[in-house]
Amino acid sequence: MILLEERNRILEETFRERFSRPVEEAERIFLTLHDFDGVSYLVETKESKSIVLFSMSMKCYPELRQYGADNVLFREYGSLFQAAPEPGFEVTLRIDEAALAGQNTEELVKKLALLKRNALAAPFEAAFYAQSQGQQTNIMTVNYRDQEAIYIMGFPDRVTVIFSTVFKEEADQIFGRVFLQEFVDARRQPAIQNAPQVLYSAREPPLELRGLRLSDAENIGYVTFVLFPRHFTPGPIREETISRIQLFRDYLHYHIKASKAYMHSRMRARVESFLKVLNRAKPEKPEDQKEKKTMAGKTFKR
Amino acid sequence: MCLENFSSQVVERHNKPEIEAQTTKEALLTPVQISRNENEKVLVEPSINSIRISIKIKQADDLERILCATFTRFLMMRAENFVVLRRKAIKGYDISFLITNFHTEQMYKHKLVDFIIQFMEEVDKEISEMKLSINARARIVAESYLQQFS
Repeated sequence: MILLEERNRILEETFRERFSRPVEEAERIFLTLHDFDGVSYLVETKESKSIVLFSMSMKCYPELRQYGADNVLFREYGSLFQAAPEPGFEVTLRIDEAALAGQNTEELVKKLALLKRNALAAPFEAAFYAQSQGQQTNIMTVNYRDQEAIYIMGFPDRVTVIFSTVFKEEADQIFGRVFLQEFVDARRQPAIQNAPQVLYSAREPPLELRGLRLSDAENIGYVTFVLFPRHFTPGPIREETISRIQLFRDYLHYHIKASKAYMHSRMRARVESFLKVLNRAKPEKPEDQKEKKTMAGKTFKR
Repeated sequence: MCLENFSSQVVERHNKPEIEAQTTKEALLTPVQISRNENEKVLVEPSINSIRISIKIKQADDLERILCATFTRFLMMRAENFVVLRRKAIKGYDISFLITNFHTEQMYKHKLVDFIIQFMEEVDKEISEMKLSINARARIVAESYLQQFS
């Protein structure tokens, strides 16, 4: 499993299971779960057993709302989208199972699992739209994690997406550097020459962000993706690109940690083999309780 | 590696590895340093009842440095199992072995020497292999991700 999925499997399966049962058999549900980047969901039946309130808590949602997230969600979920979210959450969808009865719910199930992705898509769509009009946008900042952010800027001929990412340990930093260097170099391969250009800067924020006075601490890295119009032609390509880009930071850190785990298991195996070699140096101990026989024929254990 | 039993001359009824205690100068022999270059050296410090071997492993760049540090930490944490390993390396080196007369009484000497030599060869090999595998992995990760965009 090299690539991360943009839909939340647990949500998808929960909803699919729920909608596949007839409305009369609906039961109460109170499910909390977490997703990448500190996002958490709550699926509960408050008012009645057949009305499901699906809420998402996303700290950066106020910023996303600035970039039109409410419109995006309204477009995707229509009347399910509630103007006033539940207390403690930023987005709520109200699903009336009675109204769904008889319809094909598979589409809806898939859409519900993409709630986080759709919310985060707003600034990307704004930037793509501006580019298609030949305009330039301001820097759109999304502080989606504690010390990390995504910066999106639309230019007349391209869209730039910059990730700032923090490496908590020194080992992470060094592994991260190796991985990101490969990202930068990967375009040499003929097969992926059409992929977006990736630039990496270890401590210095890139030129576009100089105005924001960002941190340049030892453990911070900035990764820039340059997207050209062919990467976000309207339709499935645009949707795919938005989903992939959002997951970049989690993808990177997941693989860094997986590499570390692999290194550890390798070292453990190597240590075992050293131990075996060393034990060869010890002469065999006489077996305890070896049976011995005397001349007269009596046997005893010593 | 001719080690013989030697009770401590400083404290009655104590038996310490003299190379660690360093109390009686006449029990210590001359240390020998064998270096391939500034970054790879072995220091052998003998004494009458113990011998200390410290190795500095070749580390060319940051990644090798981290791998080496993690690897030696793994080994040193398991020093009890290894018997002849020292829990902390001598300053300036990455890993140290302490062999006392008790060890040579219990184990074959030539096998011990074999072990140390094999250890030195394997550590270098292992670190290079790990570095290669990380680079290969990074390449695959980058390719898989960027391929989605094509």
